[in-house]
Amino acid sequence: MVNPVLLIAVPLGLAFAIPLFALFWKDAAKYIPPVALGFNLVVSLLLLPKVLENPIIVSVGGWQPPFSINLVAGPVGVLFSTIIALVGLLVSIYALDYIKEGATEKYHMLYLLLLTGATGVVLTGDIFNLFVFFEILCISSYALVAYLRDKAGIESAVKYLIQGAVGSSLLLIGIGLLYGQFGTLNMADIAEKIASASPISLFVPMVLLITGLGVEAAIFPLNAWLPDAHSSAPSSISAVLSGIAIEVGLYAVVRVIFTIFGASSILLFLALLGILTLLVGEMCAFSQNNIKRMLAYSSIGQIGLILFALAIATSYGVTGGLFQMVSHTLSKALLFLAAGYMIYRAGSLDISALEGMGRKMPLTCLAFTIGAFSLVGLPPFVGFASKFLIVRAALATKETLFVVLIGLALLGTVIEGAYFFRVVQVLYFKGEKPNPGRKEAPIIALVPMIILAVLIIVIGVYPRLITGVLNSAASELLNRVEYIRSVLG
Amino acid sequence: MGFLNNYIYYIGAFGLILIGLYTILVKHNLIKVIVGLGILDTGVNLFLISVGYITKGTAPIFSRPGIDSEHMVDPVPQALVLTAIVIGVAVLALALSLAIRLYQHYGTLNLRKIREQRW
Repeated sequence: MVNPVLLIAVPLGLAFAIPLFALFWKDAAKYIPPVALGFNLVVSLLLLPKVLENPIIVSVGGWQPPFSINLVAGPVGVLFSTIIALVGLLVSIYALDYIKEGATEKYHMLYLLLLTGATGVVLTGDIFNLFVFFEILCISSYALVAYLRDKAGIESAVKYLIQGAVGSSLLLIGIGLLYGQFGTLNMADIAEKIASASPISLFVPMVLLITGLGVEAAIFPLNAWLPDAHSSAPSSISAVLSGIAIEVGLYAVVRVIFTIFGASSILLFLALLGILTLLVGEMCAFSQNNIKRMLAYSSIGQIGLILFALAIATSYGVTGGLFQMVSHTLSKALLFLAAGYMIYRAGSLDISALEGMGRKMPLTCLAFTIGAFSLVGLPPFVGFASKFLIVRAALATKETLFVVLIGLALLGTVIEGAYFFRVVQVLYFKGEKPNPGRKEAPIIALVPMIILAVLIIVIGVYPRLITGVLNSAASELLNRVEYIRSVLG
Repeated sequence: MGFLNNYIYYIGAFGLILIGLYTILVKHNLIKVIVGLGILDTGVNLFLISVGYITKGTAPIFSRPGIDSEHMVDPVPQALVLTAIVIGVAVLALALSLAIRLYQHYGTLNLRKIREQRW
């Protein structure tokens, strides 16, 4: 049997080995991340069928939980680690050619560290360990946002760093308060003991944890950093930040609410916050002229939709939310990757500069179009299946409030459709300039885009491929008694 | 005075946290904001230590003779603080290096004057 610890240990070790290898052979740096993430993908896929039957609990150091730091490789953890490894692998292949300037070995090392942090967050069962992996993720993403060292990148990285650091401090205070009350850091152990605590003494740590994690998850009032950071980073990093980092932040929020606190009273508030995030994100995206800022605001909107779906807290709702996370990760990674080379060829971030790109780079533009249609939710792409599940879940609650809120969410989708169709129109139907000749993205960048596009279509046509995993992941999140039992035995 | 005696570490810790937050929110100069982050970190660390501290406690080393377990402090928060200090150092170092770059680009560290990126 494969040990889930390898999912963290191998990339972490290889990440720190990159500068050593680069001393002898400069190109080694860029080939190590695909190797490490390919390994992670294989291990995650091997683990997936096993954890669907029984979650694997690894106690590091040989002590039994609650005394050790433990890893919980349940359906949720392995589902996320599979997605992280898959998207990370594709983006690292894309970056082989895309990242040419600057200190490339530092880029690849930080990139691998970012994904290691993300994998650690989703697999850990210890709340302080979660904080540590979260910081690995955050610090490497601060540095990567500033990688190009231009004006915009540095300014956004400073903003991101200040807000992120305050968020992490709040998170740590929350963890300290929980430890002070319960004398344990194991999430299952805290969850078990929390029933005996008074609700008043739980309120402050819960608010601190949700606020601290919410900064990274970009929930509405805490997301001022996101459009800047995601639009000024290199496109390959934007793909990972939008596709993985904020999803992992949202996972942590959901884990804290569902598993640790089992708090159902806050869910309505989160649903409202989700719809607010969605509408703010989509409306801001609509008014952008810069294509990467538009995609970044659209990520805010998607996060709002996912938060809303998760806050429905029925089996359908959580499944829909997780499905939307998967579809957003695939689509947004594809959009940023395609946009990266379109911007590179056009030499400008303005949407109007992309006129006629559909003839110049047909495959890249086709990939962008598939990503855009999937995000809007057109059949037969994966976005349709996930949005359909969310709408069904909201209607199945039979509560007027949720029906009204899903109406607002669909309004957000209409806005989303409007600005994505505008870009697609610019790509294909605007600009009567004489054909400047084809200049397609290099083949090594096209391969990941095509794989993502194929995945979007295949999962969109056969959603059953992953709904089994999503269902058991949803039941792990909703059934906290079962989680406590499987960890503490 | 009993209240003060019992809670002096918590009062100090949250005082530092509030000073740090105030500095981050109000000051315009990036270096001062980074100093605020440092104070915030220190406050959080002091808070974590005081969670595990008992009056006149000592290090939990079982092999040392003459100490009973009732006078040992909880070692877990101290391990947490060691980790948190390292993370704080990394964040501050990165923040200062970004501040150098920011100054090279804009010729100022006043955050109110640096606003090219906006909603």
